[in-house]
Amino acid sequence: MTSLLQPNLILATLLFTIGILGVMWKRNAIALFMSVELMLNAANLAFVSFAHELGIMSGGILVLFVMTVAAAEAGVGLAIFIALFRARRHIRVDEHDTLHG
Amino acid sequence: MVLFLYSILFVITVALAVGVLLNKDTVRSAMCLVGVMMCLAANYLLMQQEFVAFIQIVVYAGAIMVLFLFVIMLLNLREVEVLPWYLRNARFWGGVLALLFFFVVGFGINVFRSSHGIPGVVAKEQALAESGTPEVIILATQMMTTYIVPFLLTSVLLLVAVIGAIVMARRRDEDGNEIVLDPEEVDA
Repeated sequence: MTSLLQPNLILATLLFTIGILGVMWKRNAIALFMSVELMLNAANLAFVSFAHELGIMSGGILVLFVMTVAAAEAGVGLAIFIALFRARRHIRVDEHDTLHG
Repeated sequence: MVLFLYSILFVITVALAVGVLLNKDTVRSAMCLVGVMMCLAANYLLMQQEFVAFIQIVVYAGAIMVLFLFVIMLLNLREVEVLPWYLRNARFWGGVLALLFFFVVGFGINVFRSSHGIPGVVAKEQALAESGTPEVIILATQMMTTYIVPFLLTSVLLLVAVIGAIVMARRRDEDGNEIVLDPEEVDA
C-alpha cells in the first residue's frame, strides 16, 4: 500500500490554512472559535499520520491531549462569550475594543 | 481501493472545511465542522487508528460540537453578518498571508525527507506495536508510564477550566454581587 503521509500532510496544511482564514475573516466570536478547532484538528491529523508512517502509537496519545485542551478551551471560551453577551448583547469581536490601547 | 476511498474523503473534507469558512449562518458552519470531524475520523480508520477515530467522534463531534451548538442556540446568534468597510482591506491581506503560509508549509512538506534515521525511543515503540498487542492496551500503557506527567497535568488543566467556566458564567446583579436563589422559592 502506498504511503498516505504526503497527501495527509497536504490535507492537514489545507485545513490549517482554512482555519487561519477563518480566524482572520470572521467577526463572530463563535465562528472564530470553530476555526481554531479546525486548526487543532489539522494538527491532530498531522500527528496521527506521522505516527502511522513510523508504525507507532504515540500520535494517538498526543491527539488525546490536544482534545483535552480543546475541550477545556471550548468550555472556558464559551463561558466568556456568554458573560460578554450578557454585558454587551453581541459578540462581534472587532467591536469589543475596551482593552484596545 | 484505499486510495480511491481516500481521494473521495480528501475532497469531502476540504469541501466541508470551506463550508465552515464561507457559511454566513453559524449553525450551518457548525454542522460543516461536525462533517469535517467525521471525515477525519474516517481518515484515522484508514490508518488503522480505531481508538482515536472513536474518540474523535465521541468527544469532538459529540461533546465539543454540542457545546458549540448549545451556545449558538442559547445566544441566538443566527444573524447574517454585514462587513464594515474598514475590514475589507484587512480581509484581503489576511487572505494573502494565509496563502503564503500554505505555500511555505506545502513546500516544506514536499522537500521533507526523513534523513535522520529512527531514534531509539521510536524503535522501542515500533517493536511494541508490531508485537500484536491491541492498540488500546498500548495507548493505555504508554499513557500510564511514559506520558504520566502530562496526563496528570491534564487533570489540573480540566479542573482549572471547570472552575473558570463556572466563575465566568455565574450570574451577577448590577453591583457585581452574586445572585443567590432562595431555596424555598425554588421548591415552590
